[in-house]
Amino acid sequence: MLFPPKWLIFPQTSVHSTMNKLRYLIAVSSVALLLAACDDTPEYRPARNFDGDAKAVAGMFLTAEDSTEITLPEGHFLFDRSLILEGRKHVTVRGAGTKRTVISFKGQAEGAEGILVKNCKHITLEGFSIEDAAGDNIKVTDTEKITFRNIESGWTGPVGPENGAYGLYPVLCKGVLIEGCTVYGASDAGIYVGQSDSVVVRQNKAFHNVAGIESENSTRVRIHNNEAYENTGGLLIFDLPGLTMSGGDVEVWDNNIVNNNLDNFAPAGNIVGMVPAGTGIMILATRGVRIHHNNIDDHKTIGTAIVSYELVEALSAESEAAEATVGSTAEINASYRSDTAYNAYPGRIVIEDNHYRKIRGLPDMNHDIGKLLVMKFPLNRPQIVWDGIRHPDYYLPDGSVNPDYRICIREKLLFVDLDLGNDMENLTKRPDELRCKN
Amino acid sequence: MNSAAKIKAVVLIAAAVYWAACTEQAPETAEVRAPGIADWGAVTETAAYARYGLTKLSDYGFFEGDLRDLHPAERVFPYTVASPLFSDYAEKARFVFMPEGSSAEYHDRDVMEFPEGSVLIKNFSYTAGQIGADRDVLLETRLLIHGPEGWKALPYVWDTDQKEAYLDIAGGAREVTLPGQGTFRYSIPNMQQCKTCHDKNGKMSPIGPSARQLHHGTEGLSQLEVWHRKGLLSGYPEGSPPTSAVAYSDTRHPLDLRARAYLDANCAYCHRPEGSAKNSGLDLSVFAASEFALGIGKGPVAAGRGSGGLRHDIVPGNPDASIAVYRMESTEPAVMMPELGRSTVHDEGTALIREWIAGLKEG
Repeated sequence: MLFPPKWLIFPQTSVHSTMNKLRYLIAVSSVALLLAACDDTPEYRPARNFDGDAKAVAGMFLTAEDSTEITLPEGHFLFDRSLILEGRKHVTVRGAGTKRTVISFKGQAEGAEGILVKNCKHITLEGFSIEDAAGDNIKVTDTEKITFRNIESGWTGPVGPENGAYGLYPVLCKGVLIEGCTVYGASDAGIYVGQSDSVVVRQNKAFHNVAGIESENSTRVRIHNNEAYENTGGLLIFDLPGLTMSGGDVEVWDNNIVNNNLDNFAPAGNIVGMVPAGTGIMILATRGVRIHHNNIDDHKTIGTAIVSYELVEALSAESEAAEATVGSTAEINASYRSDTAYNAYPGRIVIEDNHYRKIRGLPDMNHDIGKLLVMKFPLNRPQIVWDGIRHPDYYLPDGSVNPDYRICIREKLLFVDLDLGNDMENLTKRPDELRCKN
Repeated sequence: MNSAAKIKAVVLIAAAVYWAACTEQAPETAEVRAPGIADWGAVTETAAYARYGLTKLSDYGFFEGDLRDLHPAERVFPYTVASPLFSDYAEKARFVFMPEGSSAEYHDRDVMEFPEGSVLIKNFSYTAGQIGADRDVLLETRLLIHGPEGWKALPYVWDTDQKEAYLDIAGGAREVTLPGQGTFRYSIPNMQQCKTCHDKNGKMSPIGPSARQLHHGTEGLSQLEVWHRKGLLSGYPEGSPPTSAVAYSDTRHPLDLRARAYLDANCAYCHRPEGSAKNSGLDLSVFAASEFALGIGKGPVAAGRGSGGLRHDIVPGNPDASIAVYRMESTEPAVMMPELGRSTVHDEGTALIREWIAGLKEG
């Protein structure tokens, strides 16, 4: 694919009348956005006294032995550096319940995490609220069997890019259970599972984050019975280049994914920054994903997006060109290809029996994809959108679709192949190619 | 835009201007302080910590005479590294203790395999010159002890009278003022924080004394050769010495070698395939497999605010567009790199990395 592709500079190629219409729409939506920004920035201002003995609690983490429980008392505790569990086995950290035990890292002086669990086995964290870490509220890395249960994790004050990145962040873990948790205000993902194996995310609530729930380069992932609402994007399933492992075998069912229309407030440069506001689910470059029996409703841009990393690179090249950054953009962006094990295309995707409802109003007009959707589908906007950028081996020699890259959709609604790899020459509504065959 | 919308827009702009004007902070009148270290009060022995290690530094018998003179006892050997980690401009006096009759096993790429019972001793101080005092002031001594169950780290904090350092697993902080750096919080890590850096494949491990870092010395005799001759090193490949790290501050060496030596010493203990930050996919060691792994043209993975709105870790020819520089020049906990071990910006180090990135060729 050439950079930047023609469709990204569509104003030069589109007809005059469409442009005027588009300009009008953009103007109207800009005013709407301006008003929204003034009135609707969500915020959370709980009363906190911080009279708990934080030094005593820090001591419990420092001296925790294997096979013990750290019992956090009721109260509000303020810490100036991370609480760390390192190399421990069979340790439970138990609070007196959410909102009863509140641990805060507001204004922390050092360390990027609130709680850091590292090189551990069989750890359970449950029954407390955690707030305002500089970076991630809870990061768990290189750990086998980690349970997060009944934890409230978020950032106080108005949501914005100054908030930390992740609410609950297991990475490089094997055996992850996240259940009954509430996450809000993360400037990246509320619940973020990265480079992990065997993961269950269930019965959680995620709101006012950029991404509600995100599974990245993770395998054997089950995400069900969660509520993701009022985020920028509800649920993301991503595979990125250059990491320790690739993801796949992800099943997503019985989730309530509604009204994820919050303006994207991710600090630029982060991958979630490219998610248009008003996205229910986005699948990026992952093979082996089944999405079924979810309620996906009230998104302004896309119900479910299926995209390749080629699209991410193209969008990134576009915005860099717009910012006139020095450097040969195309070559820099193409450098991800030096990860020869990386596969940039989605495949073995099944989307069936979901309950898609309305697409609301105008899409995210700050996003190229939003503008494109308005231009191409001014009246009847699609719920499911595939970028249509195909792997070179997408078609087998006999002309059939390679099962590794097959996308199967069994839904009674408008789904489209944008064919962005060929400047939308074969943009197709409800293509047969994407229908489930059996 | 119709007239109603226009009015709305004007009102909004006016409100924004009003808000900005009202919330503008009065310029801070910076208090200029004399260089020094704020009195941190007496430090005392904590008997309860005896289960982790000896409660006083002097109990180990590493030093003879006045403890603060750091005069090494028998089997305690001083060493230096070619390209040191930046620690808020603190001076570091390094020693290794090896039990009688034992020796370290030589490794060409990694740190020496020190025998069980060895202790690495690192003393952090500010010199009299730096703080405008009569004599140097010791702040902390960190021990890495090689026990039967592997390495463990213990922090000892020096008393104000400089007669003793006491084990304090909780670490601490000191208020330090240096010329050109202002007043900052010098942090003494707690026992758990030590391992966030001293981590190799999940096990605690020393970082500094590698062949690269030790293979230098005075009068043409490298420390490795000295150790070898004293019988402290087994398996030293006589006749095929290792490649030495250059001193990154020594401008006689090529820029590329200096920059890579700096990144290797200051970043690669986490940012390497065996390190704590392998999840980032970034390898800043001198052994990095590709330019992409080194960060050239590589996007952030889980940087959050650390990206600073920039898209690539290193952009050849453009230090201002490089996340690496942005994070090195920050002192905010969620942004700065390294995450731990400094509260000031290493001006000389960032200048070096800026110069290196500026000279990298595009594409």
